[in-house]
Formats: sequence, C-alpha cells, structure tokens
Amino acid sequence: MTTPFSLVQVRVTLTYGRLTDVQTVALTGDGPHTQALNARAEPILRREALQAHSARIDAVSGATYTSRVWIASLRAAIERARRG
Amino acid sequence: MGTAVTVEIRDPVVPAPALERAFAQLRWVDRMFSTYDEHSQISRINAGVLDVRDAHPLVREVLTYCDALRAATHGYFDVRAPLPGAIDPSGLVKGWAVDLAFAGLQRAGVRALCIEAGGDLRVTGGPWRIGIRHPRQHEHVAAVVVLGSGAVATSGAYERGEHIIDPHTGRPPTGVLSVTVIDRTLAQADAHATTAFAMGPRGPAWSARMTTMTILADEQVLLTPSFARLRAA
Repeated sequence: MTTPFSLVQVRVTLTYGRLTDVQTVALTGDGPHTQALNARAEPILRREALQAHSARIDAVSGATYTSRVWIASLRAAIERARRG
Repeated sequence: MGTAVTVEIRDPVVPAPALERAFAQLRWVDRMFSTYDEHSQISRINAGVLDVRDAHPLVREVLTYCDALRAATHGYFDVRAPLPGAIDPSGLVKGWAVDLAFAGLQRAGVRALCIEAGGDLRVTGGPWRIGIRHPRQHEHVAAVVVLGSGAVATSGAYERGEHIIDPHTGRPPTGVLSVTVIDRTLAQADAHATTAFAMGPRGPAWSARMTTMTILADEQVLLTPSFARLRAA
C-alpha cells in the first residue's frame, strides 16, 4: 500500500548530558529539504519588530495542542539519552 | 485527536462523497492511532492485546517506517515512546492524517483545497492568504503569507497557556514565543516547527535553512529568506 505521507522523526544527540543536536529525519519525500538541513552555511535571518495586523486572510495558523505531545516525546527522548 | 478539522473547497463543484470519505478517513485515523482510546490499535498494541503483525496494514506501515527510521538512526534516539517499550506516534498523526485526507481529495479531483486542523493547515490551488496568529493579540495576525500550495504549522506556548519545556534547559522556553514552518507536507512542517520551538534560543539557527518565522519574547521577529519571500506585500 502506498500512502502519501512524509513520516518524520526527531533524533537527539547528547554530549556530556547536554543537548547538542536535534535533527529531524524525513523518511519519504522532501529531498531538497533534507539536503538543506545538511548544508553548512546558514542564511542571514531577517530581523524586524513584531507587528499586529488585521489583514484579510483565508485561514490562520497558531500554536497547537499536538505540540505538547511532541515536546513531551522530545523530553522523554532526552531523558532516555541521559540515562543511557 | 480531539482536534477540529476544517476542509474548505473552492472548486465550483464540491464532490460531496469524497468529502464524506475524507472525514471518515480522519475519524478512522483517530480510532486507529489514539492513545487515549483503549480500543485503538495503538493502545491495544501497547497493552499487549494486539500483535503488530495483526494490526491494520496502514498502522503496520506506519510502525514499519518507524522501525526503519530507528534502525537508520543508530546511536540516536527516537521520540515515539514517552514510556519505554510503548508506541506513541500521536505527535505525528494529526499532520499525517491531514496529508492523507488531502491526497484523497486531490485524487477525487479537488483543485482548490484547504484543510486546517488545530492551527495547522495545508493548501493547494491558491493563492491562499494565511495569517500567522499574533502570539499576544489573538484577534490579530503577526504576518500574512500567500501560498499556492504547501503546509503551515505553528508551535508556541500561547495556546491554552500550556507549560512547554525547553529540553536544552529543562525549563519552559524563555525567549521564543512561537515558531512557524512552511513545508510541502503538514507532517514535515509540524515536526519541524515543534522541534525548533522546543529548542528555544537555538531554534532559529537550527531552522535557518527552512521556511521559518520565529517570534522572540522581546517582540522581535526572525524570518528566513524563503519565508520573507512568501509574505504578502
């Protein structure tokens, strides 16, 4: 069965008990993205002041409940890494 | 999932049966993957009642991918299981389910489509004007991006005032209010946004090559070049 999803997993590296690296591993698709993650040079980030708009929009993105699950999972991974 | 899902179709004709199938599919995913429902396949696998080999093919496929990833990342640590030996892919399932339903509707011929689930969304057939909610003024947006197609996910501490821990310090992240990531699939965007947010101050550097907007606690906003290009004028 072929399913059109891109499964993602986070891997964590600890050095001397401190978080030194978190990488997202993509199993399917998004090749350019994976390549981008591996690139060394970082682009220059644009910095600006936070603004509040009331623009016309079709949809809105905001923080999610699911995030908590992920954060909890990440914490658990790090705890296991520390113990391991 | 306990998440409201909104499907918007802008085509002149909406294929009602395909829409019904999409919602049925989302309910199915919820039933299969919920860790809160003791009758879900994931719960039954964790309880030792259901052998993975007897699980639904799609559940098996997800778990097989998980195993392949774990093997491929030897020396690193996967995050599927908050409890040792247990399976919990729920952090991925919402975005994955949206991607699944999205593909089904596209196969049914839908051209202009937006699926939103709990503040994350995926669109095609745009232009779609997508607001990124302001972290302090909820009735306002902090930015607007225009997408032809793609997925937008935002992770932050401002929904329901939850306590999110920065794994780097073991304390709630200070310094970052929210991270928004745009990617091709919602599973990917969601995972990246949440990871970057969890990293706190290190998030912007880690996600610098993605399509990312980070809102800092000092009300400064960091945009990667590709994100800046998508912003509405």
